[in-house]
Amino acid sequence: MTQAAATEHHEPVENTSTGLNSRKLMMWAFLASDVMFFGAFIATYLVYRGKSLVGPYPSEILDIPITSVSTFVLLMSSLAMVLGLHYVKEGQKNKATLWILAVVVLGAIFMGFQFFEFKTFAHEGLTPRTNIFGTTFFILTGIHGAHVTIGVIWMAILAYGSHKGSLRPDSSLDLEIAGLYWHFVDIVWIVIFTVIYLISASDGPPLGVGPTIVH
Amino acid sequence: MANLWQKFTKHDGNGWWNLPHTGASELNPDFEGPIGGAWFGNMWRSLTHGNVAHAGVGFYWLVGLILAVITLVEVWLFTIETLGGWFIPLLLILSLGKFVGVVAYFMHLRFDDRMFTYFFASAMIVGILIFSLLLLLMKYANQPVLF
Repeated sequence: MTQAAATEHHEPVENTSTGLNSRKLMMWAFLASDVMFFGAFIATYLVYRGKSLVGPYPSEILDIPITSVSTFVLLMSSLAMVLGLHYVKEGQKNKATLWILAVVVLGAIFMGFQFFEFKTFAHEGLTPRTNIFGTTFFILTGIHGAHVTIGVIWMAILAYGSHKGSLRPDSSLDLEIAGLYWHFVDIVWIVIFTVIYLISASDGPPLGVGPTIVH
Repeated sequence: MANLWQKFTKHDGNGWWNLPHTGASELNPDFEGPIGGAWFGNMWRSLTHGNVAHAGVGFYWLVGLILAVITLVEVWLFTIETLGGWFIPLLLILSLGKFVGVVAYFMHLRFDDRMFTYFFASAMIVGILIFSLLLLLMKYANQPVLF
């Protein structure tokens, strides 16, 4: 690599004590704190796993095929996000807008799946007040859903900005920071899907307690 | 064979397991592809944009495809009843793979300044430690489940 090429491609040095962009560092600090936030709820779920004395229990109510589809949708939204950022950096406005819009649509579809799931569970008798599974499940997935909702609104604003031309290569950091948030929401769901849905899906009543009687 | 292993893991002391020393928009050093290693990096470079630090569109599609396949494998494992004690460890390993894939490539930690990696990894380690201790405490300290 020549000296000129190296200089041309070098990342601008930020005038901060770390040499890093403060906004980006702030987002990473927020995500680090959010790790603790979600970690607390996931740990609480695991502590009380299998301790519900009344049903419905996870084995009776969790629908793995449907949740697998919503997990796939959220994963693909992460792909759309990174492609959107790529095209913003390349200055391809139309492609960037399209992919950011795809993030909004896929995020909204995921929210739709979650709404459908919550509604079905409530219809089958599981609410946050029913048992300890309901309480820990709805709090954890509900807070994650709130994060997704904030992300969808944020992405919709950025998609509008991209369409209007205010999201340019020199301001791509705006999308990069939003993208960090969006990908974090995705990795939290990766953990939730594994721990709550796949690992706990066969959890029934504790020993000595009978299954739910369906009237 | 030993030579291949050296190339894959330890090329210039900056193989697969280490982050590149370059900044986000800096050129990758020679023999350092987006997933590291000399010969592997060169293969990926031909699939992506070439000699750039941030990977190209093809690479992101590839990572997305791998993540989707891992999800399919997870769901497939769920349907197998003979796994027994292997079920949870296998799922956790696959889940960790997806987690690392998103954080390293989609969140660009693989290409970004190492400070961000240290920041996030520190929080992950402290978080996992605290909550593992909590789980152990609840399991072995004979705590009442509810009040």
